[in-house]
Amino acid sequence: MNENVIQVSGKSEISQIMREIARDLLQQKTVSLVIGWEKGILPNKSAPAFITQSHDTDKLVFDEYCYHNLTKYLLQRKGSGLKTAIFVKGCDSRSLVGLVQDNQVPREDICIIGISCPGLMEERNTVIPAKKCETCYTSIPVEYDFLIDCPDTKTGDDEPGGSFAHRELSKVENMTLDQRDTYWQTMFQGCIRCYACRNVCPVCSCKECCFDLTSPDWVGKGNNTSDNSFYHLVRAMHVAGRCVSCGECERVCPINLPVMLLNSKLSLSIEELFDEPPASMNLDDTATLSQFKPEDPEEFM
Amino acid sequence: MTMDNGQWTMDNEMQRQQGTSVRLDSVGKDWDPKILVFACQYCTYAGADLAGLSRLQYPTTTRVIRVPCSGRTNPQFVIRAFQKGFDGVLVAGCHPGDCHFSTGNYFTRRRYLLMTRLMEFVGMDPRRFRVCWISGSEGPKFQQVVTELTDAIRPLGPNHKLRDTELSSLVGGIGR
Repeated sequence: MNENVIQVSGKSEISQIMREIARDLLQQKTVSLVIGWEKGILPNKSAPAFITQSHDTDKLVFDEYCYHNLTKYLLQRKGSGLKTAIFVKGCDSRSLVGLVQDNQVPREDICIIGISCPGLMEERNTVIPAKKCETCYTSIPVEYDFLIDCPDTKTGDDEPGGSFAHRELSKVENMTLDQRDTYWQTMFQGCIRCYACRNVCPVCSCKECCFDLTSPDWVGKGNNTSDNSFYHLVRAMHVAGRCVSCGECERVCPINLPVMLLNSKLSLSIEELFDEPPASMNLDDTATLSQFKPEDPEEFM
Repeated sequence: MTMDNGQWTMDNEMQRQQGTSVRLDSVGKDWDPKILVFACQYCTYAGADLAGLSRLQYPTTTRVIRVPCSGRTNPQFVIRAFQKGFDGVLVAGCHPGDCHFSTGNYFTRRRYLLMTRLMEFVGMDPRRFRVCWISGSEGPKFQQVVTELTDAIRPLGPNHKLRDTELSSLVGGIGR
């Protein structure tokens, strides 16, 4: 993959290179759509951009507010057979690998333009690093066709099985069972079941979601603590072994529930139990719960 | 009571529900926890059958649901059981290597290793939820596991956690 690595001297140059690559791809008709980011109408918020004309590529930007993981938009191109170019940060690249593994997106239809991520800033407080960057250990994309290689790459203090997630988890794990229950019930009570966390999640790619179905009626549609708990626990189990810890679910939550705690708990348990690499680090991996080893830990004899 | 002709009425349901919540907080000494067992058709269900045929006594508050394989037991079933008022859940299937479908219970094992940790993480007492391998010839083991589970849950009292106690969902849930 080394032939398509483009070195830049600083993060200010990334936007310029992005525009050049996108313009070339569109002019040569290699792709019919480029998905990237543009300046948003609000300050400190870059918006997703969908570019089909080469003269529009000047809109593209990359700054510290490009939070959006764009890979989920690829699902809307599913089955069209059209080629798409997409910009990914390190964390986004893992979710894209996940989509390819799940046969949601054909790899040959996607031109992946990776950006070695210099780190993002918090949306609501723009002087501190974004929370999802604290748990980051893949600032360089794991899969790409082109890579914009920036020397200012920044990762969190985390590594697989890392310390930040452990610190967050220990807050809950130090509680007694009843305190934990009270803590989570308080959290889930506040949930308004807007399903934003599901909608933004890059590994929640089912066309038909069990939370939407009315027959079978898996989960009550009323907003009560019991059904909210059901929703969050089941969602955590559904993404277990495929969650790439991109932190989008927590970022979009309108009432700031610590949704990622459940996912981190499962991710770390998976590392402890099954001795497997983190989810979606390369295209040949299989999701943890879609495979097994006969020598897995045995607790149920 | 307005249990006229055995008809279901809103009043009746509310009274039943209020009655339940009173019972929830004050249980007598003879209280037995309600246990739901998800039993794999090829091993544990046969094991439970053997326990019955051998006249082995086990708690009468146990209910068994037959599933085609322990791998069929979606974690949603377990949470649902707690929601709807069970005090303990047992998921049981063939020993690893003995699965009728060769590999189903290996997937179960991975899934429930995580599920037990997640349930504990959100405050569910680990004694209320158990996974166990019980083969078709292990009638006594079925009796033993169910008895142990019941004995372990009895001092904990009825389960409130994740419990669905709201009338609206109960009314919506009739017939589900």
